[in-house]
Amino acid sequence: MSTPNSGLLPVASGADVKEYALGLLQRQRAKVLGVLALYALAALAGLAGPRLLGELVGAVQHTTTRTHIDHIGLLLAGFVVAQAVLVRIARYASSVIAEGVFAELREEFLRKVVALPLSTVERAGTGDLLTRMTSDVDAMSRSVRFAMPETMIAMATAILTLVAAFLTAPLVALPCLVVFPLLFVATRWYLKRAPQGYLRERRVYSHLFAGLTETLEGGRTIDALGLQAKRVRRGDDDIRRAFVAERYTLQLRTVWFPSTESAYVLPVVGALLIGGLLALHGHATLAQVTAVTLYFQQLVDPVDRLLGWLDELQIGASSLARLVGVGRVPADRATTGAQPQGEELRADDVHFAYREGRDVLHGINLVVRPGERIAMVGPSGAGKSTLGRLLAGIHGPRTGSVTVGGVPLVELEVDQLRREVALVTQEQHVFVGSVADNLRLARPSADDDQLRSVLRSIDAYDWVQALPDGLATAVGSGGYVLTPAQAQQIALARLVLADPHTLVLDEATSLLDPRAARHLERSLAAVLKGRTVVAIAHRLHTAHDAHRVAVVDGGLVTELGSHDELMASGGAYAQLWHSWRADPTTPSGIGQP
Amino acid sequence: MRAFPLADPGDPEVGSPLRFLIWIARGQQATLVGGMVFGVIWMCGQAAVPFVVGRGIDRGIAAHNTGALVMWSAVLLGVGIVQATAGVLRHRWAVTNWMTGTFRVEQLLTRKAARLGASLTERIDLGEVVSSGTTDAGYIGNCLDITARAVGSIVAFAAVAAIMLLTSVQLGLVVLIGVPLLMLFIAPLLRPLHHRQTELRASVGKLTNFGADTVAGLRVLRGVGGETEFVARYQARSQDVRRKGIKVAAVGSILDGAEVLLPGIFVVVVTWMGARLALQHKLTVGELVSFYGYAAFLLAPMRIATEVADKFTRGFVAARRLLRVLALEPVLSSPAVPVAVPINAGLFDTATGFTVTPGEFVVVAASEPPDASDLADRLGRYRDPTGDERVLWGNASLTTLAVDDVRRHILVSDKDPRLFAGRLRDQLDPLARADDEAVQTAIDVAMAHDAVDSLPDGLDGMLDERARGLSGGQRQRLVLARALLVDPEILVLDEPTSAVDAYTEARIADALRRHRAGRTTVVMSTSPLVLDRADRVVFLQGGRVVNDGLHRELLSTDAAYRSVVARDEESA
Repeated sequence: MSTPNSGLLPVASGADVKEYALGLLQRQRAKVLGVLALYALAALAGLAGPRLLGELVGAVQHTTTRTHIDHIGLLLAGFVVAQAVLVRIARYASSVIAEGVFAELREEFLRKVVALPLSTVERAGTGDLLTRMTSDVDAMSRSVRFAMPETMIAMATAILTLVAAFLTAPLVALPCLVVFPLLFVATRWYLKRAPQGYLRERRVYSHLFAGLTETLEGGRTIDALGLQAKRVRRGDDDIRRAFVAERYTLQLRTVWFPSTESAYVLPVVGALLIGGLLALHGHATLAQVTAVTLYFQQLVDPVDRLLGWLDELQIGASSLARLVGVGRVPADRATTGAQPQGEELRADDVHFAYREGRDVLHGINLVVRPGERIAMVGPSGAGKSTLGRLLAGIHGPRTGSVTVGGVPLVELEVDQLRREVALVTQEQHVFVGSVADNLRLARPSADDDQLRSVLRSIDAYDWVQALPDGLATAVGSGGYVLTPAQAQQIALARLVLADPHTLVLDEATSLLDPRAARHLERSLAAVLKGRTVVAIAHRLHTAHDAHRVAVVDGGLVTELGSHDELMASGGAYAQLWHSWRADPTTPSGIGQP
Repeated sequence: MRAFPLADPGDPEVGSPLRFLIWIARGQQATLVGGMVFGVIWMCGQAAVPFVVGRGIDRGIAAHNTGALVMWSAVLLGVGIVQATAGVLRHRWAVTNWMTGTFRVEQLLTRKAARLGASLTERIDLGEVVSSGTTDAGYIGNCLDITARAVGSIVAFAAVAAIMLLTSVQLGLVVLIGVPLLMLFIAPLLRPLHHRQTELRASVGKLTNFGADTVAGLRVLRGVGGETEFVARYQARSQDVRRKGIKVAAVGSILDGAEVLLPGIFVVVVTWMGARLALQHKLTVGELVSFYGYAAFLLAPMRIATEVADKFTRGFVAARRLLRVLALEPVLSSPAVPVAVPINAGLFDTATGFTVTPGEFVVVAASEPPDASDLADRLGRYRDPTGDERVLWGNASLTTLAVDDVRRHILVSDKDPRLFAGRLRDQLDPLARADDEAVQTAIDVAMAHDAVDSLPDGLDGMLDERARGLSGGQRQRLVLARALLVDPEILVLDEPTSAVDAYTEARIADALRRHRAGRTTVVMSTSPLVLDRADRVVFLQGGRVVNDGLHRELLSTDAAYRSVVARDEESA
């Protein structure tokens, strides 16, 4: 059974994330330094404005010529043009790097995802992984595309502006440094709290949207059970939570915004007042005071942007930790290189627990002879599906062993395991891509003719050929919609291509309408031909047709034998069978515990 | 600050998107005005900084007046503090405006959806409604949020233009003409940028979908192989996104450059003209510094103007989409004077001739399953019969009763019932009417123990959205337990065990019959294991009742019936 447990995937530690991020940058070091140099040049060009305005002021004060003013004007224009060109080049270059880094990051993430251990994939559920694939990759995109370059630019610009102010008039600029401790304290206070606050906002909104979606989609159920008031309450509760989360970050900003904004104005006031006093006593020129005052005004923008992006960067780091964490799942099997001798699949005294201390299998012994067909029947929750997963090598037993040809399944390479035994479940998935893409997963080397002949063998070629583009028709989410029976046939065709000698079949036809089911059973029969089959049976005729039937109840095999033998023994299986066939010789009301 | 959720989000005007937006705005008039007032103070404070600096230079430094210098420096500090305070107050009001608009729309939407119930799902494309519900409320909020900055910008722009005009007509005109002209220059660059951004977004969307699709099918992928193939395909898409991202940057960086160049040139022109005027003593040096500052400041209102246009357009479109849901009314209506609920009465459907008497356990086998579902919908009045046909409950047609009365007494569990996220116990007994013993009994009858046990905390465990973490069979049995807990007078179940294995199905059918003894129960099913437990089987063929009786009788006397219920037997 699937456990909605989302805590199974690890999150990387802070040190781990730092190392990973530095590694990414390291590989691009030359390019990153080049871009930083470009930004520095652009910032330098931008610093000419206040300096030249100061000169204009000085010149006007000393009644200069119009030509001089025109020259300064032209120079100003020249710097503006230079800055614009440099900004254009630097932005472009940094985007090229950012896009490259981000592409590398997400590609590596996907490589880790598809290499996750089988047991993790089976148990972790897709929810957490899906969040990482969508929200966390998205958060990373904001960090890599915007936050990282913006903070680098802002930092370079801020530092250069400060340097320019000091070079223009150190005495005027110096007193203004006092604001930096102020900014530092306020921002540190804010950053300690803000990322948690914004992450909580994201969580409450995704909860709110999930609730709204359920309400919109579940109209019929709401109607039937009279849940209107309850859904409204759920919506209102979510809004209350969203409000509380919003109010929290708003309070943080209510403290942080005015402290930083007041901090911004202090250097400007200081430059005017102290610079002015110095000028009045002949220690500075009006031109210098003007330039420094303007520099400090100009400093506000990069510092503000720098601080503004910091919380996004922190959020990005926590997303990165979740992406990197996927690669930190310990392997669930140790391959030994041992080669199976023969095809016999057997379970010996197998115990298994999903959670410690709660065994769901209590000592299973089962030998599946090559070519044999075994049906497993039994009530829900008896352990049939779990046993199926162990027989397919997805989980290893807690104690005891499950072997094929004498080699434990969990000691085989995954690629080899697939050639030995495959698990066929109710859960089918048509991937986005063409029909051919969907089939080739199982055998990448197969050409179109091979695909066609496989489809023919399971009686699925006719409808595939009738699709708009035949084998090349785009299917899956957003593409041509296949019926559940067709999706099932795609899955069966994959099995034929993968060609394992043993199949563990979790009976899948029960959700289909009877006519489709009949067609599907014919396809299935074609796939099963010549293979060893362990079928977890929902339908009794499957059991009837099997060589042997294993009744699984309470984590044990309680009856084992051919249909006729079990009928003769008159156990639980025989009673159920009678009821199903409505055999008039037995009373109804059987099958209960 | 106003607290949310609102006790009553009100009854919106749904005549047109504009009227809806005006209605929303009217509901928060006071905070909108508050935001605008602080927006004006904040923006004017920013505009005042160059003015004060200029005065400080003129009256203080140039005039060699220490007192004036100190005074104007103090004024500058005061302006800075006023601006910072007004800024944060503006922000607080704007956030309140955003929340009021957004939350109110969400509340309206939830209430509307709950009231529409089944008639919502049937009438419009749900995918669109869902995406509208999750984004459009925010777009409405954005419209309200920006009003404070919009009004602040307009007033500050007018003030700066007026000061410049008063000082120098020439420079004033440069500003009044120059700023709109700048916007005109930047606008043509925005179109190719938006175009490429749209392409990028589409590419990113495809990539994300591909990633999500890989995750969704990961079990299959890890089961049959093809990982290398998937990595390669993802890589190809990822590289496509990278190239598109670079194409966006190619245009975007030109825009970035233009945003430096055009305003920069504007500032240079203003400064240069100012310097010439200063040389002719028509302008003081302080005023020259002020003008440089004004020119730089004017970029802010310009940017806000673009943002306002964008947010209002989106808000208007969002309002139109929202109205498609908010303007809907339920399809089924109760009569003005509904008749009383019949006591201890059976149901009769004239269209099929189906009838069930009080206390009976009837199973309907239909040769075409959709016919059974239609019948179920009519019995619970989710759909009214066509023409002169009617569904009688005792002597009363269902349409003469209040819909709520019908829902309270007749429960129809359809083929696609939903489980909602939350604590399992609450989801099984959503109206909290049953005691622990009743809950346990319902779980026993529905054979749902394994579903309960699969949650780490059992009944106290949390179901995720749509109970996705459970298998189809587990969900189906939990839904059955939920229906049993409602304990309705008449219970109609459409294929309640279609995803359940034979063993379990047999046990459920037995327990269900015992559990519902004395209460009216109708089950739609073609499974022999269920039919065998019925007091009476009704056989539906071609939309009419053609036979009824005990399962075993029908099996031996009716060949058509036999072929329908024995389908899976034959297919073996």
